Amino acid sequence: MALTKTNNAAASVKIVVLGIIVILLFTLPFWAPENIVMIFLLIMLYMSLGQMWNLLAGYAGLVSLGQQIFIGLGGYSLAVITEVYHLNFLLAIFIGGVVSVIFVLIISQPIFKMKGIYFSISTWVIAEALALYFLNWAFVGYGLGFNIRTTYEMSTSFLYYLSLVLGLGSVLLVYIIMRTKRGLALMAMRDNESAAEVMGVELYKTKLTIFLISAFITGMTGAVLYLNISFIQPYAAFSIDWTVASVVIVIIGGIGTMEGSIIGAVVYVILKQFLYDFPGISMIILGVIAILIILIAPKGIMGMLHDKFGWEVLSPRRSPKKLMKMIRF
Amino acid sequence: MEVLLQLILNGILLGGLYAMIGLGMSLIFGIMGIINLAHGDLMIVSTYMSMVVAMRFSGNVFIALLITVVVMIIIGFLCQTFLINKVIDKGPEPPLLITFGLSIILQNVLLLIFGADAKNIPTRVSSENIVTTPWFSISEIYLINFVISIVVILLLSFVMKKTYFGRAIRATSGDIVASELVGVNTKRIYAYTMALAMATASIAGLLIGMTFTYSPSTGTQYLIFAFGVVVIGGMGNLVGTLLGGIILGLSQMVGSYFFGTAYQLFCGYIVLLVILTFRPQGLFAGARK
Repeated sequence: MALTKTNNAAASVKIVVLGIIVILLFTLPFWAPENIVMIFLLIMLYMSLGQMWNLLAGYAGLVSLGQQIFIGLGGYSLAVITEVYHLNFLLAIFIGGVVSVIFVLIISQPIFKMKGIYFSISTWVIAEALALYFLNWAFVGYGLGFNIRTTYEMSTSFLYYLSLVLGLGSVLLVYIIMRTKRGLALMAMRDNESAAEVMGVELYKTKLTIFLISAFITGMTGAVLYLNISFIQPYAAFSIDWTVASVVIVIIGGIGTMEGSIIGAVVYVILKQFLYDFPGISMIILGVIAILIILIAPKGIMGMLHDKFGWEVLSPRRSPKKLMKMIRF
Repeated sequence: MEVLLQLILNGILLGGLYAMIGLGMSLIFGIMGIINLAHGDLMIVSTYMSMVVAMRFSGNVFIALLITVVVMIIIGFLCQTFLINKVIDKGPEPPLLITFGLSIILQNVLLLIFGADAKNIPTRVSSENIVTTPWFSISEIYLINFVISIVVILLLSFVMKKTYFGRAIRATSGDIVASELVGVNTKRIYAYTMALAMATASIAGLLIGMTFTYSPSTGTQYLIFAFGVVVIGGMGNLVGTLLGGIILGLSQMVGSYFFGTAYQLFCGYIVLLVILTFRPQGLFAGARK
């Protein structure tokens, strides 16, 4: 009885704290200076990238090294739709997601035949091939790329709210997915693929769904990122650096946890801003941190906190009673 | 027609260089079953090292190569012993991510020291043709690349088949538990394998430096070439590696004939993806037995 009470108290404290954080985030542009808003804007976008890579690698066991495919497709959709067709940028962001989904549908047949390392490298090769294709494609202006002029009259706070929606939306989305039956199937698949299949998990369908969701959100994030950068060019858009960022964020924060990408994104963006004048050094430090974390604390900062103090804010676990209800056939 | 003949010839010769690039990756993948994502960057590190030694200190490419090989062997041994061996039992992802981190570090260290400009190692052989006929010509450096890679592949096959060291490596890749039972220190063997792979990578690095221009970011491209060679040739298959290199070189050259030089790399990647789709175990897998 006493235990339930403390549990309930802890739960309500958690909800209050989360609520305060969300309110602070939503009111940020009203009380914080512009450079702080800018930093939080980047944190939100990188958080979304981290969440989506974590969904693939941490939960579905698909170690993608080709997240830049969707960043590039999203960014180019934005550029083409606003610069060539002069249509609304919100539509462009949405189409950025849709184009990524269509692209995944095209490559899904061959790419899901590959397992493990083959999958990882193939996604990377596809991204490199796309970069070369865009470099030689007249429609997107070859290697010259586009200036995305639609952003010139947008305020930082407007861009911040767009990023906030994507960032918090991605966390919420992963949380909801993990709480459904599909999330359970996903974790079963990650832990033991053949056992999950025997229990009735449709491997191909589950993997495809997750890859499609991840592509959709990453594509939209890519479009908003380029709304922010306002200049797109093939080598930068399809650069492995986007995947590097996602991987580093998730490893630092903790692979297979939802909070991990949040912590990782904060560390990543702040370190990058702090060493803004020395981009090489910040990447070297991040690389060293990532290697040390894999060697010393493979579960990342969040995993360490969870093991030591039992901290867990966004848990994919459910009460046993609820769980029994869900897996009943 | 002459153009196509020339391109096919170049493709085959270039394939030798690609086989050399893929050789180290093939050893690592075949024996440890992991992909070293830092392989391309380690290769470019050795290219820069050769460049510095050759241009600043010795002025002789061979001495530069010798020094680079020794240093890279030590680096490979240390990387394997203190980084990759620590996580090699923990499934495929941790080694992949460790080498990914290594790749980020190496690339940015090179960028910090040498800047982003493209460089090359100028030698007398870089621009001369050794054979010139009305129909085709053979570039001296391409021929040197091809010959060196064949010699290295033959040498490596000999080591793998005839020496105790080679037998221990093959035993480890065949059955890790059985080889530990008969007294092979498998972790140590992994470290030796990585050292051997780095020795071939530093030869490949020097050849790349003499043949093409390079910059800190080219490592990525050569990593994909190396992976392509291994995938096409079948992992751990040394003769397959040579054939894989030639197929990759040919598909790039023939692709550039039909679609223009701008699509040269693109064609190589597409051929690689097609082979990955239909025969992920490699075109020549099982040919060794």
